[in-house]
Amino acid sequence: METPVNGLIALISALALVVLITFGSLRWRRLAAREPRILLSGGGTGGHVNPALAIAEGIKNKEPNAKFLYVGVRGKAETIIVRRVGYPLLFVSSEGYPGLKLSWRSFRFLCRLCIGVTQSVIILFWFAPRWIIATGGYVSAPVILASLVLRLFRICPTTIFLHEQNSIPGQLNAVLGKWVDRVLLTFPQTVSFFPRNGVVVGYPIRHSITLVPREEAFSRLPFKVPEGRQVVFVFGGSQGARTINRAIVDALPHLLPHRHRLFIIHGMGLARSSDYHAVEDTESRIRSALKPEDRVLIEEFYFRQDYFHNIADVYSISDLIVCRSGAGSLNEISRMGKPAILIPKANLPGDHQVMNARAMKHAGAAEILFEDTIMENGRLLEKLEGKFLAERILRLLQDPDQIEKMAANTNRFLRRQAIERILSEIYRDNSFNNGIGCPPVPFRALFSNHRLLQILSTAYETSPRSYDPLAVIGDEDDLIYYRHRAAGLLSHQAWQDRNLGIKLIGLTHYKEKIPTLLHMLTDRSPTTRIRRIFGGDFEQVGFIRRNIVQALQVMNHFDADVEKALLTAADDPYYEVRAQVCRTAMHFGSAIAGREVWMDTLMKKLDDDCFEVVLMAAGALGEVGIDGRALEALLNLKNSHYWQVRDAALKGLSRLVERRVISPSPDLLCRMAGFILTSTDFRPHFSIKETFNMIQKGCRDRLMIEEGLDASPLPSEKAAGKS
Amino acid sequence: MIYHLGNFLFQISEAFSFCRLVNYISFRAIMAALTSVIFVFLFSRSFILFVHRQCFLDQVRETGVHSAFDKSGTPTMGGVLIIGAVLSSMLIWGNWNSPFLLCSLGGMLWFGFLGLLDDLSKVRMKSGDRGLSERTKLVLQGLFGLVFAWICVGPYAPLGENLSTKLYIPFYKYPLLDPGPYLYGAFIFLFVIFVSNAVNITDGLDGLAITPALFVAVVLGIFAYVEGNRIYSSYLYYPYLRGAGELTVFGAAFVGAGLGFLWYNAYPAQIFMGDTGSLAIGGTMAVMSVLLKQEMLFPLLGGLFIAEALTSQIQDKIGVRWVGRRIFYRAPLHHNLQHKGIAETKVVIRLWIVAGILALISLATLKLR
Repeated sequence: METPVNGLIALISALALVVLITFGSLRWRRLAAREPRILLSGGGTGGHVNPALAIAEGIKNKEPNAKFLYVGVRGKAETIIVRRVGYPLLFVSSEGYPGLKLSWRSFRFLCRLCIGVTQSVIILFWFAPRWIIATGGYVSAPVILASLVLRLFRICPTTIFLHEQNSIPGQLNAVLGKWVDRVLLTFPQTVSFFPRNGVVVGYPIRHSITLVPREEAFSRLPFKVPEGRQVVFVFGGSQGARTINRAIVDALPHLLPHRHRLFIIHGMGLARSSDYHAVEDTESRIRSALKPEDRVLIEEFYFRQDYFHNIADVYSISDLIVCRSGAGSLNEISRMGKPAILIPKANLPGDHQVMNARAMKHAGAAEILFEDTIMENGRLLEKLEGKFLAERILRLLQDPDQIEKMAANTNRFLRRQAIERILSEIYRDNSFNNGIGCPPVPFRALFSNHRLLQILSTAYETSPRSYDPLAVIGDEDDLIYYRHRAAGLLSHQAWQDRNLGIKLIGLTHYKEKIPTLLHMLTDRSPTTRIRRIFGGDFEQVGFIRRNIVQALQVMNHFDADVEKALLTAADDPYYEVRAQVCRTAMHFGSAIAGREVWMDTLMKKLDDDCFEVVLMAAGALGEVGIDGRALEALLNLKNSHYWQVRDAALKGLSRLVERRVISPSPDLLCRMAGFILTSTDFRPHFSIKETFNMIQKGCRDRLMIEEGLDASPLPSEKAAGKS
Repeated sequence: MIYHLGNFLFQISEAFSFCRLVNYISFRAIMAALTSVIFVFLFSRSFILFVHRQCFLDQVRETGVHSAFDKSGTPTMGGVLIIGAVLSSMLIWGNWNSPFLLCSLGGMLWFGFLGLLDDLSKVRMKSGDRGLSERTKLVLQGLFGLVFAWICVGPYAPLGENLSTKLYIPFYKYPLLDPGPYLYGAFIFLFVIFVSNAVNITDGLDGLAITPALFVAVVLGIFAYVEGNRIYSSYLYYPYLRGAGELTVFGAAFVGAGLGFLWYNAYPAQIFMGDTGSLAIGGTMAVMSVLLKQEMLFPLLGGLFIAEALTSQIQDKIGVRWVGRRIFYRAPLHHNLQHKGIAETKVVIRLWIVAGILALISLATLKLR
């Protein structure tokens, strides 16, 4: 009795749903065909919202009767900005992509995304947009996903555009971008991510700034720039950047001698939070960094203000810009055609500022300076040495050819008329050739820390003597960035991160950090009590101390400070540190040969409880010893329980002979007679494997030769095809 | 098969009275051992060839010990042979009405299947470190642990109600305490997981896992014989476990299979047992000792496995991951010995000796109570 009724209800509701969807779809098509209805989405930060609004303005100028709807996430930047501009605003649920991992966060992400998609479906049916313009961030993901699903069932007639502001697309954009109609890109380097549907349009802004003649600009500015000065404009965005503000103040004393040919304009920023007050912090820094008489002198060539409302005028008179590398700033620089020193903000998701800066640098349009992450008064701070900034500014300004070249490259770097280009894509009127399917500019992504470690340590292990990190990485700025990133790890709470940082500092040869490493090596602050119960000792755990010693060896750097720290570490409570110190002593053998203090230390290590230390010390003694004492000590090991120790002693002896400390004589033979030569280990000899490997190696070598011959003509062919 | 056939025949006719032989556990045990060893000898060469053809070869893995030669490329999944031998031998000689046999075989097959999945995924991913994830393995092991714990303390307990939750310890005649079904069930659950993983960790050198496992199987077989025999059990003050003698047959089949496998697995190995073998062996041993009320003897009897598992876990979980230093030179135990400069063959034989001594001490607990 019940079942047929239930079945009937199900059938009727299914039919009703189909009718509803059909009706909704027809209404959608009718509305979308009748008038331009545009759904805007994207946000999280102002950098995503402003391009969307700029595009909307462009459409509105062309079609005043266009209807807009903005879809965002509650409580984010769009809430304020969009309300101020006055477009209708609706919220959906979404969340940042936490990565492919089984965890509570990814579960929550999936739930929120599902809710967001459902909300978006309802919004889409109700609003019936002709175009969807998304500017990325996780905010626009639900809307895009919903419309893609509806399109799969041929329900929605909407065209989807996705604008990507940065050089490396965000994770959600990278996935969703494959299915949308057009991906509008800012950087030409990004085309390689969207070879099918990517077009390069540039960065849309609402009130575009243009270059004004110098005289006109000067007349409007509140300060006078004397004749014949080169003008440097330093700013850190509208809010200001602590690193840049402090760095330029620190740079002033270094720039002071050049004050007759320089003029520095400094936009300090509007930040007035409890964390950072841009103006006050800068003023106090000037007072502390400069002597009173210098403070008078700098007025001749230095002008600061919290914010420039007529920024186009300032740009127009500048010869060099120092700023952050957000997409917005890069676009302004490019539009003005000014050479720049970029200081990318560190520790951002996906390192997108670094990526942007690299893209600009690869185009020959800018130089990069990286900020360091340091610990100051228990707080993590980003820092850039003023000296480096001053050096870089002076070097660039002294080279007019370079500046001119950079200016020309900057001018070409990003496409102009972004809004017009985007409109031509939306209306498909072919008024611009944005180069769909244009050959992608190759752009190498940066390595993750773990991948970098893998690459560098493999390279180091293959040939420790000729190891050069620059040769492995290939690009100097990338190497510098990796160094800074590694140094940033040193201040992390988890020792695993610090350990990784230590290894990377060693492998990238970041020698400026050696004092920090030595401090960490000899730091004796204890770790938590519970860890001590389980065998831990210090805050800088055993692995860290061992790897510091190893890093010193990798960097191949030896001086008095290093020596002092190594001698302290030779009495470390952890055996691997002691063993590593002996190995490093062996490495620096030529530098410390015959030094009394090292002889004593190594001799003492021959009595160590741990056989690993003893065998390393025996090896080191072979490199360091210069007289009969080393010989005696090594001969004393002849009855050691461990065959490795006896083996190391013999190897040490043979090194002494090689170094002509002792001479091979019947006497030596006689004294070596007592050596226990039995061993508990042996090396098996598998003839069949060796034969096989021999043939295999021959084949591989042949293959490499052939590939080498084949590979060489390829690049030239490519070049010929391009030209 | 033969057990049931023999019983049937001698019931219908006096002419088949010799078939009564199948009721003697000692006879069936010897025949089971012979059958499984012959099974391994018959099939192992073609199996090794088969594994080579399928490229089910051992994959490279980072152990921290620089062996003089790389063992990757040795065929793996030899556990299939062991399981096959035991299974076929028990098909012929086993009493399939015995819950003891069914539980042990169930454990062996489940863990063998789990290990097979792990081995196959290692082969597919071409990496010795990328088999099933630790979590998946634990969940699958735990699943069996749950079911088995329920069997042991639940209404269908093969040991009967008054014995099922009592805890016996070695060197002491009477049950130490009765922790109740929940606590005892939880203990069984953890015990099964721990032992199976311990054998898995021990299986790192040629022949290292199989021989100590044989010792354990022999001792447990003897215990099963004693506890399943009314006279011996009352003489030695053991609880009489009706039908436990079946585990003697099972243990014998296992010993036969293990001996046959060692033939090929001895240094330098032609085949590894893989996770298929090590998990199956571990699971079987855990189930057997729980069924025989000898779970507290296992830390002594299988002391080698326990030491291997503990060193490995302490080194990895406490030392390397948390405190940030090595607590042993290397872990597990056999790698530590290798690191100290003892050759693989020597390490293996020394650990066999240790396992043998532990087995002898465990046997002594039969009388020392």
